[in-house]
Amino acid sequence: MNAARKSNPPGVFGPPVKAAGEAWVWLTSMGLAVGLIMIVFLLGLVVIKGVEAFWPRRVVQITVKDDSSFKLIDAVTYGGEVALRREKRSHDRTGQPAAERQLYVGNRDVYGLSFKFIDEADIVSEEQPAEIVKIERIDGGPAIGIPLRIESAAEGGKALSATDAGFAAEFERLVDEVNERREAIRHIEQKDIGHINAKLERLARRERTLEKKASGGVSADAKRTEIEAARADLQARYETLAAEARKLREAQEGQKLVYQLLSGQERAIAVGDIIHFHHPNRLSGMERLGLFLRNVWVFLSEEPRNANTEGGIFPAIFGTFAMTLLMSIAVMPIGVMAAIYLREYAVQGAVVRAVRIAVNNLAGVPSIVFGVFGLGFFVYFMGGSIDSLFFNDRLPTPTFGTGGIFWASLTLAVMTVPVVIVATEEALASVSRGVREGSLACGASKWQTIQRVVLPAAAPGILTGLILAMARGAGEVAPLMLVGVVKHVPDLPIDGTFPFVHLDQKFMHLGFHIYDLGFQSPDAEAAKPMVFATTLLLIGLVVALNLGAIIIRERLRRKYATGAF
Amino acid sequence: MTRFIKVGGIGVITLVLGIAVFILWQILPLFRGARVEAGAERALEVADYRILGVDEYADLPLLVDAKGRLSVVDLAGDRGQIEIDPEFEDDANFTAFAYHPARQDLVCATDDGRFSIVKIEYESEFVDDVRVLNAAAEAGDFHEIGQKGSPIRRIAYGDADDVKLVAALQEVDGKMELHAAMLEQASSLFGGGEISVADSFNLTGKTAGNLTALLVDGGAASVLAASDAGEVFYFYYDEDEEDFELRQTFRPFEGAEGVKIASMDFLLGDVTIVFTGSGGENRLFSLFIPEGGDLRLWGRTKDFPDLPAGAACYSRSLRNKSFLIAAGKTVSLRHATTEKVRWQENLDFEPVLARLNSKYNRMVLLDGQGRLRVFSLDDPHPESSFKALFGKLWYEGSDRPTYAWQSTGGSDEFEPKLSMVPLIAGTLKGTFYAMLFAFPIALLAAIYTSQFAAPRFRTTIKPTMEIMASLPSVVLGFLAALWLAPLIEDRVPSILLMAVGLPLLSMAVGFGWARMPIRWRALIPAGSEFLCFIPILFVGMWACWEAGPALERALFTVDGTADFRLWWPDATGADFQQRNSLVVGFMMGFAVIPIIFTIAEDSLSSVPGALRGASLALGASRWQTAIRVIVPTASAGIFSAVMIGLGRAVGETMIVVMATGNTPIMEWNVFSGMRTLSANIAVELPEAPVHGTLYRTLFLGAMVLFLLTFAVNTVAEILRHRLREKYKTV
Repeated sequence: MNAARKSNPPGVFGPPVKAAGEAWVWLTSMGLAVGLIMIVFLLGLVVIKGVEAFWPRRVVQITVKDDSSFKLIDAVTYGGEVALRREKRSHDRTGQPAAERQLYVGNRDVYGLSFKFIDEADIVSEEQPAEIVKIERIDGGPAIGIPLRIESAAEGGKALSATDAGFAAEFERLVDEVNERREAIRHIEQKDIGHINAKLERLARRERTLEKKASGGVSADAKRTEIEAARADLQARYETLAAEARKLREAQEGQKLVYQLLSGQERAIAVGDIIHFHHPNRLSGMERLGLFLRNVWVFLSEEPRNANTEGGIFPAIFGTFAMTLLMSIAVMPIGVMAAIYLREYAVQGAVVRAVRIAVNNLAGVPSIVFGVFGLGFFVYFMGGSIDSLFFNDRLPTPTFGTGGIFWASLTLAVMTVPVVIVATEEALASVSRGVREGSLACGASKWQTIQRVVLPAAAPGILTGLILAMARGAGEVAPLMLVGVVKHVPDLPIDGTFPFVHLDQKFMHLGFHIYDLGFQSPDAEAAKPMVFATTLLLIGLVVALNLGAIIIRERLRRKYATGAF
Repeated sequence: MTRFIKVGGIGVITLVLGIAVFILWQILPLFRGARVEAGAERALEVADYRILGVDEYADLPLLVDAKGRLSVVDLAGDRGQIEIDPEFEDDANFTAFAYHPARQDLVCATDDGRFSIVKIEYESEFVDDVRVLNAAAEAGDFHEIGQKGSPIRRIAYGDADDVKLVAALQEVDGKMELHAAMLEQASSLFGGGEISVADSFNLTGKTAGNLTALLVDGGAASVLAASDAGEVFYFYYDEDEEDFELRQTFRPFEGAEGVKIASMDFLLGDVTIVFTGSGGENRLFSLFIPEGGDLRLWGRTKDFPDLPAGAACYSRSLRNKSFLIAAGKTVSLRHATTEKVRWQENLDFEPVLARLNSKYNRMVLLDGQGRLRVFSLDDPHPESSFKALFGKLWYEGSDRPTYAWQSTGGSDEFEPKLSMVPLIAGTLKGTFYAMLFAFPIALLAAIYTSQFAAPRFRTTIKPTMEIMASLPSVVLGFLAALWLAPLIEDRVPSILLMAVGLPLLSMAVGFGWARMPIRWRALIPAGSEFLCFIPILFVGMWACWEAGPALERALFTVDGTADFRLWWPDATGADFQQRNSLVVGFMMGFAVIPIIFTIAEDSLSSVPGALRGASLALGASRWQTAIRVIVPTASAGIFSAVMIGLGRAVGETMIVVMATGNTPIMEWNVFSGMRTLSANIAVELPEAPVHGTLYRTLFLGAMVLFLLTFAVNTVAEILRHRLREKYKTV
């Protein structure tokens, strides 16, 4: 052995030559590399797929061979967005690969399917006609076709052909008009009529209570006529509003668009059923970006349509937000109080140590167990009692005796309280003894010391615990499935109708939305982009919360530099 | 304020720890027996009563005496015994009766070989807001069966709407003959039309001995007759031959000398027969396909404790597989599935007739002196017992005792199967595959990060891994089911290659690198190996992915088709499913890896630096130090990391719900799914009726999960605590 190989040359640092087990070090580095690849790959996948869901794609029109087995209802020419292009696995012995592509053909009402696989070998020609439009409809998913003319229903066949000069502008104007009208109808039906309905319901309840009480009261009659008068008034208002809505609805049917599918069939749609349209092959880069941003905005701000596969997820975002907020309001005081008791007041001994271990371990108990507890204790036991005490007039329809946002928040609060207790305790423990004793020496009482000195110093740590609890609560689905999350709600848990915050309301949740769309949806393949987009949003939310907690914790660690594991 | 904090603090902690108590409180009723209490008593007109029937609430029991007179007894009010007249076609001397409690019909047979089907109707009306129940009976026309003019001694009737079957034991010249008749009903707009006999059969020739008892199943497809020699003849109607075939002859009390068949009755569903022997033996026989056979035959499935004598009266429950049986003064309520006596008592009278109502909350007993006694019954969870929940039971239709979970079925006659064992096995299976994948990777990563990685990487690696831990499991489940499962479905060989190839590759790279000249090696500073390893791994993965199909063609070919999905069932006989344990294991790995990693890394990096320094100073390489000094010292911490990871995997819900088929099977096949305790709760609890047996059983599942994870975590916590103490002294 020569000397050069025994020690490292000057300026070169690293493992000594011939160090035993270097290969094994590489093996351990594989573990880390695999872990990192997994996480980066997964996050990347979700980001790409999630963003892709909003990006407007071009529509191709293809023609397949006459004898091809890839015809779409006997048509050799059809088209759609290329959703996927991949190598097709063949399982014969030769293993010759072939390419195939998946087209999103739309027009589910005509074709009965949304996606079509085609072997590339069978495609004869392919083009991208500029006049193709993609139409978002209220029902039945997007339509892809070439517009032919707009017919007016009222004046008997006065049509505007697509070849006419003013067609594009007129079409756009009509769609804007129907959208405004739709908004007006929605306002009347949901806001105004909703208010009236709520009032009517309250009247009916009052009447029922009155009937229950009135065995022979004279005053009951006066109240009854009062109720009757109020009801008649509401009824009249309802009639006028309903008539107004009816008129608007009729106007929505005024024009219809006749378009031709890429496979040749002619179809007509009332312009009132169109939400939005664009020419996918005519978009410039900036327009494409604009459309992308519009799609993102629609996704974030609108209500879902068409069995949740289209439209937005605003109610789910709102539900997640409201539930997490309620949960934080519930978990914060009880968690901090328990931690203060455990750390500052309880006599430190075997019992407290056991309690501490038990609380710590509760954090590791599966979330579904908390869901079971929530269902049994909150919903059926507490909710059932509340119903029989306060909402007797509504029984047997349960008010609080069924899942709702309040019980869901409390269930998650119970689930996350160990996280808050543990974090708060750690934060309290890391407040230095000197500070405490200084405060006591100045004559402060124990509570004053805790309130004015210890808690402010521990606040960032407590905040970390709360953020971690929120992240866990926001991402959890399994317990929510038992205590009040549903696939679709007509109303938000907080709205403009008295009493404004409806704690008994069922709600939508981002996590459950993913589960529901991916698994209960009638057209799972078409719902995939929506699921990926929702996933991206949920991951973004949870990761942001966690990053916040981690950053706060790192700052704290540097500040106090106490080792804890 | 201090007091407030104290009270509040203790309150919160009690509440949180009270979760287990609450769940336990919900479970306890499962293990309770039946409670029976004596209720009203009525003296009836003394007569030879043959049939006792009840309505749904057992408010208005029906009695039929030997002369064929029908009467009802008002137990809710004070109307006493009311006679009802079914208006038989003519006066007849009745010799035999059969009553079906679910259909509420009665077959009355005469001494001249005729029978009539009587329909019982209950109607409730409200008088001053009080429900008053009235009964009416309507007799159908007489039909003939067997030999004209000979008395019928036993009759049985099965009604499957489109087919109806009557069988009778008829005394002809002092000998019992077995006759059967297929009935047909003219279809009419208003339900039942005229009934007529379509076909008659004399089955006497195929039997032996003196026949004593008779059964016809509810499907109107088979006849069972028992002889006083202790033999049972099982006839099955062959629809092609349009005749009865004697399918089986068996002796229920084989092996018990001199025991005769004292009674023979169906259980709910008509696929189990309850026999009692003359000595009080009580055995159950069920229909199943025996191993190697192809016909459903009767076989002995259950033995109950002896009664004092052969049963005097019997009544099945219409809700579950319970039956009420009485012999002498002993009355016993037994549940067939769990093979358990729910309640048994010696009363101060001898019941001759007994009946359970269809709500399963009352029993009505009649003694020989014409006293009718009502007992209230409280038995909300007859299907559960320790054995039913954790042991093997012989379910109807199965050829051996099995562990099974199947909580709901298509019909009212369904037998719930509530064994937790397949679910526990599924939980362990999922956990096992997840740990198989997660443990090595997490441990290797932890060792590398704490021992070899440069400190500047460590500060970013840990938060990254923690982000991974925070990924909502619903996201992982969705990706597993809709992205990963279809992706790797036809690339299984590639995945297998990766599992073997990647560790080999990394070892090879390591060995190769260690033999490189030092100048080259200096290019990659110690502590950043993993960075340059990432592209190598990518290439390795890609190579394995691409090489998979070739491997498939070489090794996994069945009948000229290179497809692992076909090869696996062909070679092993086990299933291949798209959503299988491989997918679950991989995705659950995502959830578990960061947990194991974080805790293991913590305990490895808090091994006192002096130990490490001493080892390195003595000339040990960094690997030797890590594996001989650091890892053994931190082993308790690593163990507790594994335990906590295990706890997470055991309770994981959404990934399993979404990425498996959720079939409760018990096998360790990698390419099939499973149903875990947690997934089971998530799938079934929303539909379970509140406080029902299923509801409480699911709570029991939650309790098992709770205890499992709590125990595992406590062990881990104590170990970590010990370790911390140890480091203090080092």
